[in-house]
Amino acid sequence: MATINANINISSDILSYPIRINKSMTMKKLTSCNGIDETTGLRAKRFTSTDDAVIVEHDELTDDKAHMVYIRNTSASKVNFFYVSYNASTADATTTEPIGKLYGGDWMLFPYNGNTNISVASSSATDTQVLEYMVFADGVLAAKG
Amino acid sequence: MATTTATVSISSSDLMPGSNLSINASSTLMKTGLTTGLTLMEMGNHSIATGTEFNLSSALGEVNGAHYVYICNTTTNDDYYIEWGLHDTMIGNLNSGQWMFIPWNNAVATDSEIEVEAKNGTCTFEYAIFKSAWTLATAAS
Repeated sequence: MATINANINISSDILSYPIRINKSMTMKKLTSCNGIDETTGLRAKRFTSTDDAVIVEHDELTDDKAHMVYIRNTSASKVNFFYVSYNASTADATTTEPIGKLYGGDWMLFPYNGNTNISVASSSATDTQVLEYMVFADGVLAAKG
Repeated sequence: MATTTATVSISSSDLMPGSNLSINASSTLMKTGLTTGLTLMEMGNHSIATGTEFNLSSALGEVNGAHYVYICNTTTNDDYYIEWGLHDTMIGNLNSGQWMFIPWNNAVATDSEIEVEAKNGTCTFEYAIFKSAWTLATAAS
Protein backbone atom coordinates (compact mmCIF):
# COMPACT_ATOMS: atom_id res chain seq x y z
CA MET A 1 0.00 0.00 0.00
CA ALA A 2 1.34 3.40 -0.96
CA THR A 3 0.84 6.63 0.91
CA ILE A 4 -0.08 9.70 -1.13
CA ASN A 5 -0.57 12.90 0.83
CA ALA A 6 -2.17 16.04 -0.54
CA ASN A 7 -2.49 19.38 1.19
CA ILE A 8 -4.50 22.42 0.16
CA ASN A 9 -4.13 25.97 1.39
CA ILE A 10 -6.61 28.64 0.37
CA SER A 11 -6.23 32.15 1.67
CA SER A 12 -8.47 35.07 0.82
CA ASP A 13 -9.34 38.58 1.94
CA ILE A 14 -12.66 38.69 0.08
CA LEU A 15 -14.50 39.01 3.37
CA SER A 16 -13.81 41.53 6.09
CA TYR A 17 -11.99 38.83 8.05
CA PRO A 18 -9.30 36.52 6.68
CA ILE A 19 -10.31 33.21 5.14
CA ARG A 20 -7.87 30.37 5.71
CA ILE A 21 -8.56 26.84 4.54
CA ASN A 22 -5.88 24.29 5.25
CA LYS A 23 -6.63 20.60 4.79
CA SER A 24 -4.51 17.52 4.41
CA MET A 25 -5.62 14.16 3.14
CA THR A 26 -4.26 10.75 2.36
CA MET A 27 -5.75 9.44 -0.87
CA LYS A 28 -7.77 6.31 -0.20
CA LYS A 29 -9.52 3.64 -2.20
CA LEU A 30 -13.31 3.77 -2.26
CA THR A 31 -14.88 2.91 1.11
CA SER A 32 -11.53 1.74 2.40
CA CYS A 33 -8.84 2.82 4.81
CA ASN A 34 -6.24 1.53 2.37
CA GLY A 35 -4.33 4.06 0.34
CA ILE A 36 -4.39 4.44 -3.43
CA ASP A 37 -1.34 2.67 -4.79
CA GLU A 38 -1.50 2.95 -8.57
CA THR A 39 -1.06 5.70 -11.14
CA THR A 40 -1.02 6.13 -14.89
CA GLY A 41 1.94 8.46 -14.41
CA LEU A 42 2.68 12.16 -14.49
CA ARG A 43 2.26 13.49 -18.01
CA ALA A 44 2.71 16.79 -19.84
CA LYS A 45 1.13 17.80 -23.13
CA ARG A 46 1.64 20.89 -25.30
CA PHE A 47 -1.40 22.25 -27.11
CA THR A 48 -1.07 24.47 -30.18
CA SER A 49 -4.64 24.30 -31.40
CA THR A 50 -8.16 24.41 -30.06
CA ASP A 51 -8.84 20.82 -31.03
CA ASP A 52 -10.48 18.63 -28.42
CA ALA A 53 -8.24 16.05 -26.76
CA VAL A 54 -8.76 13.20 -24.32
CA ILE A 55 -6.25 13.34 -21.48
CA VAL A 56 -7.74 10.63 -19.25
CA GLU A 57 -9.11 7.52 -20.92
CA HIS A 58 -11.61 5.86 -18.66
CA ASP A 59 -11.01 2.41 -20.12
CA GLU A 60 -7.56 2.47 -18.52
CA LEU A 61 -9.24 2.62 -15.12
CA THR A 62 -11.69 0.57 -13.11
CA ASP A 63 -15.22 1.96 -13.25
CA ASP A 64 -17.11 3.37 -10.26
CA LYS A 65 -14.09 3.96 -8.07
CA ALA A 66 -12.43 6.86 -6.26
CA HIS A 67 -9.63 7.86 -8.58
CA MET A 68 -8.16 11.31 -8.06
CA VAL A 69 -7.17 13.51 -11.02
CA TYR A 70 -4.67 16.36 -10.80
CA ILE A 71 -4.48 18.83 -13.70
CA ARG A 72 -2.51 22.06 -13.96
CA ASN A 73 -2.31 24.63 -16.73
CA THR A 74 1.35 25.59 -16.57
CA SER A 75 0.93 28.60 -18.85
CA ALA A 76 1.51 32.04 -17.38
CA SER A 77 -1.30 33.84 -19.18
CA LYS A 78 -4.56 34.37 -17.32
CA VAL A 79 -6.24 35.21 -20.62
CA ASN A 80 -6.01 31.71 -22.05
CA PHE A 81 -7.52 28.61 -20.54
CA PHE A 82 -8.50 25.00 -21.10
CA TYR A 83 -12.05 23.77 -21.03
CA VAL A 84 -12.06 20.61 -18.89
CA SER A 85 -14.99 18.27 -19.39
CA TYR A 86 -16.27 14.93 -18.25
CA ASN A 87 -16.98 13.78 -21.78
CA ALA A 88 -15.95 11.01 -24.17
CA SER A 89 -14.19 13.29 -26.63
CA THR A 90 -15.36 16.90 -26.49
CA ALA A 91 -14.64 19.88 -24.26
CA ASP A 92 -16.29 23.25 -24.70
CA ALA A 93 -18.57 25.66 -22.90
CA THR A 94 -21.74 23.68 -23.06
CA THR A 95 -21.25 20.06 -24.19
CA THR A 96 -22.20 17.79 -21.32
CA GLU A 97 -20.55 17.83 -18.94
CA PRO A 98 -18.21 20.84 -18.76
CA ILE A 99 -16.51 21.13 -15.38
CA GLY A 100 -14.72 24.42 -15.71
CA LYS A 101 -12.16 26.66 -17.34
CA LEU A 102 -8.60 26.10 -16.15
CA TYR A 103 -6.74 29.37 -16.65
CA GLY A 104 -2.99 29.79 -16.84
CA GLY A 105 -1.38 28.81 -13.54
CA ASP A 106 -4.58 27.24 -12.21
CA TRP A 107 -4.77 23.67 -10.93
CA MET A 108 -7.48 21.23 -9.94
CA LEU A 109 -7.63 18.02 -7.93
CA PHE A 110 -10.87 16.08 -7.95
CA PRO A 111 -12.31 12.62 -7.40
CA TYR A 112 -13.21 10.82 -10.61
CA ASN A 113 -15.30 7.67 -11.00
CA GLY A 114 -13.54 6.43 -14.14
CA ASN A 115 -16.77 5.97 -16.11
CA THR A 116 -16.20 8.55 -18.88
CA ASN A 117 -13.13 10.23 -20.36
CA ILE A 118 -11.74 13.55 -19.20
CA SER A 119 -11.42 15.77 -22.27
CA VAL A 120 -9.88 19.21 -22.71
CA ALA A 121 -9.65 21.94 -25.32
CA SER A 122 -7.35 24.93 -25.38
CA SER A 123 -8.90 28.35 -25.82
CA SER A 124 -6.09 29.56 -28.05
CA ALA A 125 -4.99 28.50 -31.51
CA THR A 126 -2.03 30.89 -31.45
CA ASP A 127 -0.56 30.68 -27.95
CA THR A 128 0.96 27.39 -26.89
CA GLN A 129 -0.44 26.10 -23.63
CA VAL A 130 0.89 23.18 -21.59
CA LEU A 131 -1.07 20.88 -19.33
CA GLU A 132 0.45 18.61 -16.73
CA TYR A 133 -1.77 15.93 -15.30
CA MET A 134 -1.75 12.76 -13.27
CA VAL A 135 -4.29 10.16 -12.26
CA PHE A 136 -4.01 8.59 -8.83
CA ALA A 137 -5.82 5.39 -9.63
CA ASP A 138 -8.12 3.26 -7.53
CA GLY A 139 -7.57 0.45 -10.02
CA VAL A 140 -5.66 0.48 -13.32
CA LEU A 141 -6.76 -1.97 -15.98
CA ALA A 142 -4.03 -3.88 -17.76
CA ALA A 143 -3.31 -2.66 -21.25
CA LYS A 144 -5.30 -4.49 -23.86
CA GLY A 145 -3.22 -6.79 -26.06
CA MET B 1 -8.98 44.22 -4.94
CA ALA B 2 -9.22 41.02 -3.00
CA THR B 3 -6.58 38.35 -3.37
CA THR B 4 -7.45 34.67 -3.21
CA THR B 5 -4.65 32.15 -3.46
CA ALA B 6 -4.96 28.37 -3.74
CA THR B 7 -1.93 26.18 -3.16
CA VAL B 8 -1.58 22.41 -3.41
CA SER B 9 1.18 19.98 -2.53
CA ILE B 10 1.05 16.28 -3.36
CA SER B 11 3.75 13.93 -2.17
CA SER B 12 4.51 10.24 -1.99
CA SER B 13 7.71 8.34 -1.35
CA ASP B 14 6.38 4.92 -2.29
CA LEU B 15 3.82 5.32 -5.12
CA MET B 16 6.54 4.97 -7.74
CA PRO B 17 9.46 2.93 -6.34
CA GLY B 18 12.76 4.74 -6.66
CA SER B 19 11.15 8.06 -7.42
CA ASN B 20 9.83 10.49 -4.85
CA LEU B 21 6.72 12.30 -6.00
CA SER B 22 6.53 15.98 -5.10
CA ILE B 23 4.03 18.24 -6.84
CA ASN B 24 3.60 21.85 -5.76
CA ALA B 25 1.40 24.43 -7.41
CA SER B 26 -0.03 27.78 -6.46
CA SER B 27 -2.47 30.05 -8.24
CA THR B 28 -4.03 33.41 -7.61
CA LEU B 29 -7.67 33.13 -8.61
CA MET B 30 -8.91 35.83 -10.96
CA LYS B 31 -12.20 36.94 -12.41
CA THR B 32 -13.11 35.60 -15.81
CA GLY B 33 -10.29 36.33 -18.24
CA LEU B 34 -9.01 39.26 -16.21
CA THR B 35 -6.22 40.21 -13.86
CA THR B 36 -8.74 41.31 -11.24
CA GLY B 37 -9.15 39.14 -8.18
CA LEU B 38 -12.38 37.44 -7.22
CA THR B 39 -14.62 39.46 -4.92
CA LEU B 40 -17.51 37.12 -4.06
CA MET B 41 -17.69 33.91 -2.11
CA GLU B 42 -19.90 31.69 -0.01
CA MET B 43 -18.97 28.92 2.37
CA GLY B 44 -20.71 26.58 4.71
CA ASN B 45 -21.07 23.25 6.43
CA HIS B 46 -23.83 20.73 5.72
CA SER B 47 -25.03 17.31 6.74
CA ILE B 48 -26.87 15.32 4.07
CA ALA B 49 -28.78 12.09 4.34
CA THR B 50 -28.07 9.26 1.96
CA GLY B 51 -30.18 8.67 -1.10
CA THR B 52 -30.96 12.24 -2.21
CA GLU B 53 -29.11 14.53 -4.58
CA PHE B 54 -28.68 18.06 -3.24
CA ASN B 55 -27.76 21.22 -5.11
CA LEU B 56 -24.73 22.87 -3.60
CA SER B 57 -25.09 25.97 -5.70
CA SER B 58 -27.78 27.95 -7.39
CA ALA B 59 -27.19 28.86 -11.00
CA LEU B 60 -27.74 32.59 -10.77
CA GLY B 61 -24.16 33.52 -11.42
CA GLU B 62 -22.12 34.43 -14.42
CA VAL B 63 -22.59 31.80 -17.11
CA ASN B 64 -19.38 30.26 -18.46
CA GLY B 65 -17.41 32.21 -15.88
CA ALA B 66 -14.42 31.59 -13.65
CA HIS B 67 -15.69 30.22 -10.37
CA TYR B 68 -13.86 27.83 -8.03
CA VAL B 69 -15.25 25.17 -5.73
CA TYR B 70 -13.73 23.52 -2.67
CA ILE B 71 -15.48 20.60 -0.94
CA CYS B 72 -14.20 18.50 1.95
CA ASN B 73 -16.02 15.39 3.14
CA THR B 74 -15.50 15.66 6.90
CA THR B 75 -17.21 12.34 7.62
CA THR B 76 -15.00 9.95 9.58
CA ASN B 77 -16.61 6.63 8.65
CA ASP B 78 -14.60 5.06 5.80
CA ASP B 79 -17.73 3.39 4.42
CA TYR B 80 -19.47 6.72 3.79
CA TYR B 81 -18.65 8.84 0.77
CA ILE B 82 -20.08 11.70 -1.26
CA GLU B 83 -20.84 11.32 -4.94
CA TRP B 84 -20.45 14.67 -6.69
CA GLY B 85 -21.40 15.85 -10.13
CA LEU B 86 -22.81 18.57 -12.32
CA HIS B 87 -26.53 18.63 -13.04
CA ASP B 88 -27.50 15.00 -13.69
CA THR B 89 -23.99 13.76 -14.45
CA MET B 90 -22.14 12.26 -11.50
CA ILE B 91 -18.37 12.58 -11.89
CA GLY B 92 -16.64 11.22 -8.82
CA ASN B 93 -16.70 9.77 -5.33
CA LEU B 94 -15.26 11.82 -2.49
CA ASN B 95 -14.14 9.54 0.31
CA SER B 96 -14.37 10.43 3.97
CA GLY B 97 -11.66 12.86 4.99
CA GLN B 98 -10.92 13.84 1.39
CA TRP B 99 -11.14 17.22 -0.31
CA MET B 100 -11.47 18.44 -3.88
CA PHE B 101 -10.85 21.74 -5.67
CA ILE B 102 -12.06 22.55 -9.17
CA PRO B 103 -12.70 25.47 -11.47
CA TRP B 104 -16.40 25.64 -12.30
CA ASN B 105 -17.71 27.59 -15.27
CA ASN B 106 -21.46 27.33 -14.55
CA ALA B 107 -21.72 26.42 -18.20
CA VAL B 108 -25.44 26.65 -18.71
CA ALA B 109 -27.71 28.62 -16.41
CA THR B 110 -30.03 26.34 -14.40
CA ASP B 111 -28.36 23.32 -15.96
CA SER B 112 -24.90 23.25 -14.39
CA GLU B 113 -25.47 23.17 -10.67
CA ILE B 114 -23.05 21.30 -8.46
CA GLU B 115 -24.71 18.26 -6.94
CA VAL B 116 -23.74 16.10 -3.99
CA GLU B 117 -25.23 12.88 -2.69
CA ALA B 118 -24.25 10.94 0.41
CA LYS B 119 -23.66 7.23 -0.06
CA ASN B 120 -23.95 4.46 2.54
CA GLY B 121 -24.78 6.92 5.35
CA THR B 122 -25.23 10.53 6.37
CA CYS B 123 -22.24 12.64 5.41
CA THR B 124 -21.07 16.02 6.61
CA PHE B 125 -19.05 18.31 4.41
CA GLU B 126 -17.57 21.77 4.25
CA TYR B 127 -17.51 23.82 1.10
CA ALA B 128 -16.48 27.16 -0.31
CA ILE B 129 -17.36 28.66 -3.68
CA PHE B 130 -15.33 31.59 -4.96
CA LYS B 131 -17.23 33.50 -7.62
CA SER B 132 -16.44 35.75 -10.49
CA ALA B 133 -19.90 37.35 -10.53
CA TRP B 134 -23.15 36.35 -8.93
CA THR B 135 -26.62 37.56 -8.03
CA LEU B 136 -28.88 36.63 -5.16
CA ALA B 137 -32.24 35.03 -5.83
CA THR B 138 -35.10 37.48 -5.67
CA ALA B 139 -37.14 37.12 -2.51
CA ALA B 140 -40.78 36.16 -2.75
CA SER B 141 -43.04 39.12 -2.01
